[in-house]
This record gives sequence, structure tokens and C-alpha cells, in this order.
Amino acid sequence: MLEIKNLTKRYGKFTALNNLNLHINPGEIFGFVGPNGAGKTTAMKIIAGLLTCDTGEVYVDGIGVKANPQEIKKKIGYMPDFFGVYDNLKAIEYMEFFASIYGIEGKEARDISLRLIDLVDLTDHADSYVDSLSRGMKQRLCLARSLIHNPELLILDEPASGLDPRARYEMKEIIKKLHEQGKTIVISSHILPELAQMCTNIGIIENGKMAVTGTVEEILAAKGSMGPLVMRIGENLELAVRILKEDPRAKNISILENSISAIYLGDEKEQANLLSAIVSQGVKVCCFGRESNSLESLFLQITGQEDREGGSSK
Amino acid sequence: MMTGRKVNQILRLNPIYKKELKTGVRTFKTSLILLGYNGLLALFGLFAFYLTFEYGSRYGGRVNYSDILQIYAIIAATEFGLVLFTVPALTSGSISGEREKQTLEILLTTGLKPIKILRGKLASSISMMILLAFSSLPIMGLVFSIGGITLSDLGAFMLLVIVIAIFLGSIGIFFSTLFKRTTAATVATYGTLLILVVGTFILIWAAVMLDEIKFSTVNVNGIYQPPNVGNLLLVLLINPAITCYALIEAQIGTGSNFISFLRNFGTLSPFIEQHWFIISIMIMLGLSVILMWWAAKLLDPLKERKHKK
Repeated sequence: MLEIKNLTKRYGKFTALNNLNLHINPGEIFGFVGPNGAGKTTAMKIIAGLLTCDTGEVYVDGIGVKANPQEIKKKIGYMPDFFGVYDNLKAIEYMEFFASIYGIEGKEARDISLRLIDLVDLTDHADSYVDSLSRGMKQRLCLARSLIHNPELLILDEPASGLDPRARYEMKEIIKKLHEQGKTIVISSHILPELAQMCTNIGIIENGKMAVTGTVEEILAAKGSMGPLVMRIGENLELAVRILKEDPRAKNISILENSISAIYLGDEKEQANLLSAIVSQGVKVCCFGRESNSLESLFLQITGQEDREGGSSK
Repeated sequence: MMTGRKVNQILRLNPIYKKELKTGVRTFKTSLILLGYNGLLALFGLFAFYLTFEYGSRYGGRVNYSDILQIYAIIAATEFGLVLFTVPALTSGSISGEREKQTLEILLTTGLKPIKILRGKLASSISMMILLAFSSLPIMGLVFSIGGITLSDLGAFMLLVIVIAIFLGSIGIFFSTLFKRTTAATVATYGTLLILVVGTFILIWAAVMLDEIKFSTVNVNGIYQPPNVGNLLLVLLINPAITCYALIEAQIGTGSNFISFLRNFGTLSPFIEQHWFIISIMIMLGLSVILMWWAAKLLDPLKERKHKK
């Protein structure tokens, strides 16, 4: 359904995408994961025909974006991370306006609009002015808008950003429904547990390159047991935290009562050395070990490794 | 043979135009523009009536009926001035406003071509100008109570209003596409209007001055050489105010005053002098097409370029 080949995009000296390659099959929900500035939005904008690339090509259903952008737009529904709405338009009129852009008019436009408004659970607000809707409702309306021409591929850039847990849950349910209808969905998000639940495949992008792709299970298995390191401390908690902070392999250190949790990028030998160092300084350790793996820890592990290899700090 | 679908496509209104009309009439701003436009026009019209009849008979002791056509000139010039000020305000935020509202990106991901977006925007601003022009017809009709102006004269004036709306509208839309911010686009549009109306005239005036200095030696010898800036005078063809003057002067007089006015600066071919109005509006329409084409290129995301702040 979607094929990205050697995609490169530079903004001056900054390389946003560096030979990005990706293949997404029809009916997949693909989770695009990466830190801010990794190139997710740039890649999505190139797919949607909003940006040109320096080299490479994007194919949707075998059609090149560069060669036939108008044809591609019929196949894609795009929801940007930031979007505005028109004042003085009701939700149903907003939908009908976008329907008319695709040449759908009259009763057909109204029927499709009402069906999609129902899909995103906004039937009670069909006659409300768009600017009076809550943020979550606007996000759902924008998703309905992106479906007006029945696209085969949906590009959703941070669809749940800024939403409360309830609105996020509703958005997730709608995306699941769309998947059941056979849509291919590319979704970027920072809420990794939700992505892990929803997506059939994920790709972690770092510094414009695809670091890893596959199903969540495949990736976790391939990367080994690198879940967060958890310690329960009997005495000298502060000293243990200080030792951990001094270790460059430790990231995202968090403390809860007498427990310390951190992403630890070292191997088993380095882990053992850390434990010896802590104990030799007089810290009483009750428990020391790694938790089972998660997408979040994997993400931090991969992006953290890139940091070390690139010599930069985040 | 045209298929039914093609006929439907031709008859279908531009979706942007339709949306702009719908949202436009729902705002208080539209009513306010209508009120302000017609209020000012009525004020100037009644003032012109007062000057011609009441003031003339009270202080001059008589009414000079040959001056009555001046009422038309004053009302038409006022309406023209209002068009000059209104169109940039209506169009300079058309694209930059969409960008600021973050709705432009969504529009560009639909199947709508950039030129169609721009055409919809231009059509909505022209519609607004037509609405204003038609709503002002009762005020323009004041001159029919006296006579001297025909319906075809009024038609020609309405044509000028529409052409100027298209010309200034495409300038506004061009800058609105070029600049990210509406403020910058508005300043650039009004700046260009100032250059067109005043700048071109200053250019001719400066050229006349230089010409007079050059021929001052000849004048000393007693041979008068009138200034002639030659083909530079053609630059006035893109000056909306001069074209408006050419039209009104031809309607209330014979057009000879306009030709005399031009000859203060130089001589042109008699064909251009006599067909100034038609040539000027053709040039303005041609420039509008170029500006819209250029703006469409700027708006096309796949023909990437850097926006000016």
C-alpha cells in the first residue's frame, strides 16, 4: 500500500530524513514512533504531498507521489498534528464543504457526512458551530473529514495530542473501527503503550533513519530483555541515585518511595559492575533486576543508543 | 458530446467560493462594510447635490445646469475610491489568513488545485464588490433624476469597478500567498496600490521635470518645446485612478480634457489616447492573470520555496 524508498529531506544543513525506507502492507496500522525532530512529520507531509523530498520516492498503491500527486490525494486522508477550523461553519457544513471539494454534492454529501459524523460519535453536535466544539471533538471531526472521500490510506499525525484520557480512548476506538473496515493507517504518537495496543506494526525513526521496524513482539524479542532496571533500596537511597546518575548508561531515572527505576543501556556485565559499585559504597540493596520489556523502554533504548553513537546528549 | 458528469462539473460552484459566501454573509463585518460603503457614498452624493443646487441657488443666485454632471463625477469617483480601499482589505488575508488559521494545509492535501483555491478566493472578493456596487445603485441612480448619464455609461462604470476589483484582488491574493503574515500582505498590497496610483504619477512628473531641464536651453532661444516623456507615459495605463478619470471624463464631457491632460506630459499615438479605457482594462486583466498564475505556483507545495515572513 505504501512504499518509501531512500527518502532524503534536508532543511539547509539539517537532515530531517536520511535515506528512509519503509514498506506498509494494505490493512496494516503502522505506528510511527520517534523523538521530536526525528523526521516523523516531515515523512508524513511528503507522503501527503505537502512537501517535496530531495531524493527518493513515495509510492501509494504503486503510484509515485512526485509523478501523480493529484491521483495520490484521492487515495490519502491526512490529519495534521495542528489544524484549524472555520468559524461560522457548522460541523455538518464543514463536512459538506470538504465533500464538495471531492465532487460529492447534495444528498450524497449529506448522507456521507452524517454517517462519518456518527462514526466519530458527534451526531448530537452535527448542527453545532465547529469553533464551539471541544478540542477532542474537533480532533474527531478532523478525522471524519479526512475520511470524506473514502481514502484507502490514512495518515494521522499525532491524532491524540492534547487530548484527555477519555478523548484518547475514544480516538483509539475509532481508529480500531477504521482498521476493521480495512483501512491502511499510518499513525504517529508519543503515547507508546496505546500505539503498542493498536498497531499491527511499528517503526522507530531516529535522526531521519528507520532504526527498526516490525511487530511489537518481533522487535521486543529481537532486542532482548532490556526492560527498565528496577532497584529497591534499604538504606542510602540518595547515594544510590547519585551513583546511578553518574553512570552515562542510565537514562530516565525515576524514584518512587524507596524504589529507583531507570532505562539502563548497559549489558549484563556493566549491570553487574553497577550493582557492585552501589553495594561497595554502602548502599543496602534489597532488590535489583530488569522488568519485562515494553515499547517505551525499547524506544528509549534505541533512541538512547543513537544518542551515544552520535555523541550528542538529549 | 459532453457527458452529464462534465456538465455537472462545469455548473458546479467552486467549493471555496461557496464556503466563503456562506461564512461571509454570517459575519457582522459584511453588514458593517455594506453600511459604511453606502453611508459614505450617500454622504458624498448628497453633499454634491447640496453644492450644485442649494448652495448654487442661495449664494450664486442661479443653478448652472451644465455643472449637474459633476454630481455623477463626484459619486462615481467616491465609489471608485471606496473600491480602491476595500478590495485590498478583502483579499490580502485570503491565503495568509488560511495559513494563520492552520486550515491551508488541509486544503492542500485535498484534490483541490492551488489555482482553484485562488480562483474561489478571488471570486468571493469580486462578489463582495459586485454586492457593494449593486447595493449602491440607488445612490448612483440620483444622477438619473437630472439626466445626462445613460445606462450604458453606468454599465461601463460597473465594468471598471469589476475590473479594478479583479486587478487589486489578484494583487492582494498574490501578496497573501507570498507572505506568511496577513499584516505583511496587507501592507504590501496597500503599498502597491499607492505605487500604482501615486508612484506612477510621480514617475511621469519626475520625467517631465528632467525633460524641461534638458530643453531649457532651447527655450532661451525663444522656441517653446513642450515636455514629452514619450512611451513612459504608457505606465499610466496601470494607474486605476487615471483610467477612472479617462472613463468619467469621456462620459461627462467629450474626452478631450483627458487627452489635453495627457499632453501636458507627452504625446502618444491617437489610438491609445482615444481607447485608453479599453486598453487599460485589458492590461489590468492580463496582469491579473499573470499574478494569479504566479500565486498558484507559490501556493503549490510540490514547487517548494521559502515564504517571506
